[in-house]
Amino acid sequence: MLPNRMLPNRSRTSVLVFLLPPLLLYGAAVLFPILQSLFLSFFSWNGISDMEFVGLENYLRMFTADDIFWRAFLNALLYLAICLVLQLGGALVVASLLTSLRRGRELIKTLYLLPAVISTVAIAFLFVRIYSLEPVGLLNQLLQWIGLGSLERPWLSDVNTVLAAVSTPEGWRFTGLYMLIIYAALLAVPKELEEAAVLDGASRWTLFTKIRFPYIRPVWITTTIMATTYGLRGFDIPYLMTNGGPGQSSELLTTYMYKTAFTSTDFGYASTISVFIVVECLLAVGLILFLLKRKADA
Amino acid sequence: MKTLFRAAAVAAVTALALTGCGGGGSTNSTNVAPTGEIKPREISWLLSRPADGAVINIMKKLADDYGKDHPGFKLNLITTPDRPSYIQKLETLASANKLPELFDTDATPFAQQLAKQGKMLDAEKLLKSLGLYDKYRPGALDYQRFDDGSLYMVPFQYELEYIWYNKALLAKAGVAVPKSLDDIPAMCTALRSAGITPIAIDGQDQWPLERYVAYQPFRTAGPDFVQKLKKGEAKFADAAGQKTANWMAELGKAKCFQDGFSAQGYSDAQNQFTSGQAAMYNIGTWELSSLATDKLNPAVRDDIDFFTLPTTSGSVTAANEFVSPSGIGMAVSAKTYDPLVSDFLKFALQKYPAEYAATGALSPTTDVDTTVPANATPLYRKALDQAKDLGSKQAMPWDTQLDPTTNGRLQQELVLLVQGEITPQQFTETMDSTIAQNAPKFFK
Repeated sequence: MLPNRMLPNRSRTSVLVFLLPPLLLYGAAVLFPILQSLFLSFFSWNGISDMEFVGLENYLRMFTADDIFWRAFLNALLYLAICLVLQLGGALVVASLLTSLRRGRELIKTLYLLPAVISTVAIAFLFVRIYSLEPVGLLNQLLQWIGLGSLERPWLSDVNTVLAAVSTPEGWRFTGLYMLIIYAALLAVPKELEEAAVLDGASRWTLFTKIRFPYIRPVWITTTIMATTYGLRGFDIPYLMTNGGPGQSSELLTTYMYKTAFTSTDFGYASTISVFIVVECLLAVGLILFLLKRKADA
Repeated sequence: MKTLFRAAAVAAVTALALTGCGGGGSTNSTNVAPTGEIKPREISWLLSRPADGAVINIMKKLADDYGKDHPGFKLNLITTPDRPSYIQKLETLASANKLPELFDTDATPFAQQLAKQGKMLDAEKLLKSLGLYDKYRPGALDYQRFDDGSLYMVPFQYELEYIWYNKALLAKAGVAVPKSLDDIPAMCTALRSAGITPIAIDGQDQWPLERYVAYQPFRTAGPDFVQKLKKGEAKFADAAGQKTANWMAELGKAKCFQDGFSAQGYSDAQNQFTSGQAAMYNIGTWELSSLATDKLNPAVRDDIDFFTLPTTSGSVTAANEFVSPSGIGMAVSAKTYDPLVSDFLKFALQKYPAEYAATGALSPTTDVDTTVPANATPLYRKALDQAKDLGSKQAMPWDTQLDPTTNGRLQQELVLLVQGEITPQQFTETMDSTIAQNAPKFFK
């Protein structure tokens, strides 16, 4: 009896002991900077002058007097939408097709996953070449070959196409990763359920919407949250490919924040933007949980 | 995600944590000749120059020579050639009060704030105490000066910026070398209709396009315009500002720059010119080894020439006054300045010009003659000789003059203006309000 009574206590203590270091690390590396940003967002500070308390002035400027901020916010939403469609939509389609494949699954999985392990810088340079007009890059060359030469354009210099052009590599890059997660979830759908449905005359579509998708919903929620938060924090590919340009056409909140901090050395205002990004990510996660949970309950 | 972003965040926090904020401590920026014993140690120079370029190679060699007589001395050269990354690094270190013994900077508003806080050594006093001041070209020193005439950086280069052109392509389009800046749009139209890209430009790095916006005001209003503009005392709405806004829009309308220029880099632009696709290319003498030696593509070698910045009618600056930068300068941190740093600088700065001129480059001093390399074309000598006859004014690159926020916005808006996405009027309104918002913070 004694060991049984002791064990839960002992394991609880040991669990706490083992959880503490990562928790402290998390606090130091994540929570502390967020709090520091919150603190800094009430100051005007350029890094070398004295810090000056300005109250809510930075927030007022952000919401009412900064046209780039709003432009960057809308761009970030569009960037997110394109990334989500490519990553989640693409992943779901590929994963579903994979389950019906008999051979070559491993090969295709590896091929799709490959971009996720290539360095971001390499991907950015690769796509700069693909989109190039002078000298002609892959995309414009393809358009020429299939007789759509009139669509040729400098994709990264055209203000109408640049945002989609910088979102696509990010979406493409992680499709394989989410595909793998969803594929694993799809494999776990009980075969007998599917077979019973097929016997009852369910179409492939009904099979998917009524059996498979509800079954993978928890995994779907997790992947959506992952993809959304990653998308909202997207930075490196747009920064490397266009640096937010031309003009502010591919400026995201993250690139704008980075420039405000490290080019304009306006650390106070940059912190204000970063506080907004944190709140925005939290809100997005809350919204996803709320919507998908409500659907599941309905 | 995004290790870059993470790293940036961590760097920011480290910077914040390391510093109490501002305040340079009790350093003396005017005591250029510290007394005491020379204690050899390791010193660092944070720079933004090509890793295997002449400046770094020579300074490495000079540091080695110095180290032979002073065991224990070592010069750490930490270079970040990509300028925006370098500036970010410098600003972060300055915020953390962790500037190394020597560091590179242009005469930017940020650097001026550092100077005002006594973090940099007075370079004029330093050079005078070493007996070197009078050997420097006045223009090379002027380029490093702040608006108030004070000097805190030592130049290591001297460059002249020309507009290189391809004679054969101009002849093919039936156009002559422009006599006035105002001739260029029409020239571009003619070149375009002959199927030639008029000007190859590196749009990705943004400063090359920013050069163009400086040209018209330099001719119509002189070098003072940008000095006033950056403080909000002059406006884009003024005559000189309107002239440049309209001219930039005309350059765009005439399709002067290659299609999709904003996403093309330094080497893309140079390749377009040296492969004979583009007719003109605006770059400085630092590219002489690629444009005026047998490294240049033989197919265009005999067709390449250059002209200096054209004037305009009623120009207040002369034809022999244009962009002649002495490159990013070296500042000496006042906090870590001691007899060793002083002694090393004395040693290195005296020997540097001869070594530098031997590499075929123009020295910032006048006491040495540049060696023209054996593989040079006649153009090499011609390009160097221009340095002998220069006026007293020079066009300052605007990216070293404006406050960083205004500069960033200007670079963005210029692309939009040249691409025809915004009108000169919209450009004027945006820029004037940006300056009004940001300049006071920097130039109070």
